[in-house]
Amino acid sequence: MALGGYANRVAHVDLTAGTVEYRGIPEDWARKYVGARGLGVRYMLENGPQVDPLSPDNLLCFMNGPLTGTEANMSGRMAIVTKSPLTGTVTDSHHGGWSAARLRWAGFDGLLVKGKASGPVYLYVHDGVVEILDASDVWGKGVHDTVKFFRDRYGEKDLSVIAIGPAGENLVRFACWVNENDRASGRGGTGCVGGSKLLKAVVIKAAKKMPKAANLEAWKPAHKRALETIMDERNITSPRKGGLSVYGTNVLMNITSAMGALPTRNSTVTSFGPSAEKISGEYVKEHILVNDPTCHACPVACKKEVEIKEGPWKGLRMESVEYEPAWSLGANCGNDDINTVAKLIDLCNDYGMDAIETGHPISIYMEATERGYTNGDGGIAWGDTMAMVELARKIAFREGIGNVMADGADATARYFGHPELAMTVKGQGVPAYDPRGLKGMGIAYATSNRGACHLRAYTPAAELGVMPFGSLKVDPLAWKGKGELVKIFQDIHAFSDSLDLCKFSAFAEGAEEYAAQYAAIVGVECTPEDVLRIGERIYNLERYYNNLAGFREGSDYLPARFTQEPSTMPGSQGHVCELDEMLAEYYAARGWVNGVVPESKLRELGIID
Amino acid sequence: MQVNFYATLRPIVGGRTVEFDVGEQVTVKQLVDIIVERFPRLRKELLNADGNLYPHVHVFINGRDAPYLPNGVETVIKPGDTIDIFPAVAGG
Repeated sequence: MALGGYANRVAHVDLTAGTVEYRGIPEDWARKYVGARGLGVRYMLENGPQVDPLSPDNLLCFMNGPLTGTEANMSGRMAIVTKSPLTGTVTDSHHGGWSAARLRWAGFDGLLVKGKASGPVYLYVHDGVVEILDASDVWGKGVHDTVKFFRDRYGEKDLSVIAIGPAGENLVRFACWVNENDRASGRGGTGCVGGSKLLKAVVIKAAKKMPKAANLEAWKPAHKRALETIMDERNITSPRKGGLSVYGTNVLMNITSAMGALPTRNSTVTSFGPSAEKISGEYVKEHILVNDPTCHACPVACKKEVEIKEGPWKGLRMESVEYEPAWSLGANCGNDDINTVAKLIDLCNDYGMDAIETGHPISIYMEATERGYTNGDGGIAWGDTMAMVELARKIAFREGIGNVMADGADATARYFGHPELAMTVKGQGVPAYDPRGLKGMGIAYATSNRGACHLRAYTPAAELGVMPFGSLKVDPLAWKGKGELVKIFQDIHAFSDSLDLCKFSAFAEGAEEYAAQYAAIVGVECTPEDVLRIGERIYNLERYYNNLAGFREGSDYLPARFTQEPSTMPGSQGHVCELDEMLAEYYAARGWVNGVVPESKLRELGIID
Repeated sequence: MQVNFYATLRPIVGGRTVEFDVGEQVTVKQLVDIIVERFPRLRKELLNADGNLYPHVHVFINGRDAPYLPNGVETVIKPGDTIDIFPAVAGG
């Protein structure tokens, strides 16, 4: 391959046959889809969109991008790409830490895993080779014990362990892969696919060996400029000064609640009132924060390690009480006990299940209890912390009602006879922004290619005015222009997810910084317009996959609660989400026909010949 | 009048909520001036060189960012209104 930046080595692992082949990346694919998310989806399309997610034929991709593990800031991200057993869409879910960098330093752009092993296995990746080894000793263990087992076996130095826990083994549909104890590729059930293949872990041993840029002369100014924007005191990424660095992602809890944009008690209301403070980033910093860990090549250090100092979970030390899981297992469930929030997040990490998704079946059960929909099948009150801890265990091990909840929010709501209680899009639970108070999130959730998601188009960056240097601020309660805004966000994030840079780089960097770094590392010409064009191609590729998988006209929607039940809380009182108006605007900007990519658009973008 | 502060503004004002003495009628802009007069370190956090609120700073009156109110920063604050001031915050 003529392009620089890549290892140009992908391991094709067949767990049924027990074989590993090493191949280069088709150059045309690398140019069109970059790496990580984009390239992973291209491999998924090649594998066939009709595949049953839990069959051996499904593909599970652990993907790096061309910037992964380089000197580029915030370049420690790995994309896990597969067909989701939760949504039926293609999905990609990213995690931080050092595993992605180590995969690159071990000599790989990606691992493509197919088939099903005859017994539990793990992949041992080192020195340009992948070994398939027996994992019987760790099957049944939680993620934390699994990590410890492999650290004992291979030594902690230069080691990353990406593992599934009991939830993945038990095929919980929102089970995830967890890297280095706490960094989860949370969304979409990628860990469930791992469990279906009897793949317990990916263990990577590789010393630091940063790839050089193809164009060193261009790299130096590109890197310098990107770093300067991250360090700038006017941006929230500014180390030890910006809100994201000082308080972590949970700095959001108070503002979304204050503006009536925090989905609370299964989105029945849009604010947690004074209770939001008790689970906020400010509260965490004042009471339980003990450390600020970071990821490869990141000066921001948004991770917040905590230690519980009192109560039943006293002594628990974990990272990290992020905004999303703190919301899902906190405000979403009427729980304002930060210690239990931390305990539940830690349990989710150890069981290996998405902490955002886990809160959904629990809050549905709570609302069903309140409304008398449980038909005598037990019940749980809002904020019942001890019952929540027990429910999390039951979900991971598919015990009792947990066996229903393990199939997701939609299945849980149907079980109680009230599907309208599921706050989902395409089967995936909404994250921590109520689209009645932040309307861009409404169109972003509805049109996300992996089901409800805040990371496909992070419109709060504009709706809260934190674009680089305050360059764009729009009214969170206005809907006009949000369809076009979401398209731009989706396209630029699709590109950065394919590099693969942390999403938070977008609070400082823009298309110009991305283009300059990509061009220097890979050794090609790239303009900001190219960044948006490539991102658009990747977004359309995903949509094309989903269309072929059966998501046709009318697949982009929101739960009726957001479009029909007005907010009753200050900041957004009286507002619903005007989805139909935004969808029309969005489809016009995309050139799609009611959610379906026309053939002409596929040709225009070079997705088909 | 009570004003709630958040995130990186709290260490500067020394707590979560601060009481300010204001006249009978005060606009959002006048209140911000009173605040930065009492806490001069807040000036560079809240106001640009022209003395206007940065776009990434939020002064909420009952949950609504002041620039989006019908009278913007000239809005008169009523007794009992909830006032929250945030610096730039985001995450996800």
